[in-house]
Amino acid sequence: MNVLTRPSREQLTAQGQWLALLLLATALHVLEASLPSLGPWFKPGLANMVTLVALALLGPKAAFNLALWRVILGSLFIGTLLTPTFIMSLSGAVAAAIAMLLAHRLLPCLSLVGVSLLGAMAHMLAQFVVVEQLFIQQAAIYLLLPVLLLLSAMTGWINGALASYIAGRIRHA
Amino acid sequence: MNTWHDRRTLLRHLLGRPADRFLLVLLLGGTMALWLTLRTFVADDRPMVEVYHHERLLAIYPIPEGSEEIRFIAHGDLGPSEILISGDGARISSSPCQSKRCVLSGTHKHLGDIIACVPNGILVRIGSARAGFDGIAE
Repeated sequence: MNVLTRPSREQLTAQGQWLALLLLATALHVLEASLPSLGPWFKPGLANMVTLVALALLGPKAAFNLALWRVILGSLFIGTLLTPTFIMSLSGAVAAAIAMLLAHRLLPCLSLVGVSLLGAMAHMLAQFVVVEQLFIQQAAIYLLLPVLLLLSAMTGWINGALASYIAGRIRHA
Repeated sequence: MNTWHDRRTLLRHLLGRPADRFLLVLLLGGTMALWLTLRTFVADDRPMVEVYHHERLLAIYPIPEGSEEIRFIAHGDLGPSEILISGDGARISSSPCQSKRCVLSGTHKHLGDIIACVPNGILVRIGSARAGFDGIAE
């Protein structure tokens, strides 16, 4: 006979934190979409900062799920679900999450700043590959890649530092 | 006191670990090398505006001299995108896409510059002249 066990207090706390982070990440995703564009395909990646906080506080599985669900929920709110914008966001977020989880696991010498840096670069690379393969089919778009990688490195570094600071504050709260 | 401590903590996070800084230098070096490699493929010729719909070339025009302006309509996945080519360069002046990022990206005239409208599948590229023609359009 199956007996339903009550979740422990720690499990409930973790689930509550995950949900709060998901709502925050979705709100930042929607906010970023409504901000004036800083350049073609370039966003500051504020929502990715929340994925990093989830990685530091709740672990890799929670961080990956959060990255996936915030793109789906965010796209529902801004009305881009299943459009090219959604596919670009999803590919970027999944690539960034995988790169960050692997770096977090395999490169313990890196702090969240380095992990975020790799995630930002993976995000941009994945978007270019998806656009070139699915939507534009022109290798010429790769001419934009170096400039956008430089901007990604900058925002990835800053977001990583902020995520590290916020995760530290939450841990000690 | 607490604010001062917070600032110092944030600054410490901003500096990262030595491994983070090493990774940054490595990635920036790689990006610069990529940029230099890509630039060598762009010939130093007279700039031409190429308009594509996915992989199909729709039109090639030289950047005109003087006050002449060329108007080209490219039919994409969502509808027509209007491309204006003048002495200042090429720009997408109207597009049926939702975000209008292609329109907002403005005028481009340097070799290797591109304007891409992903939702509409339209790409405008500033390439180099391979032949001395005045313009080709489908």
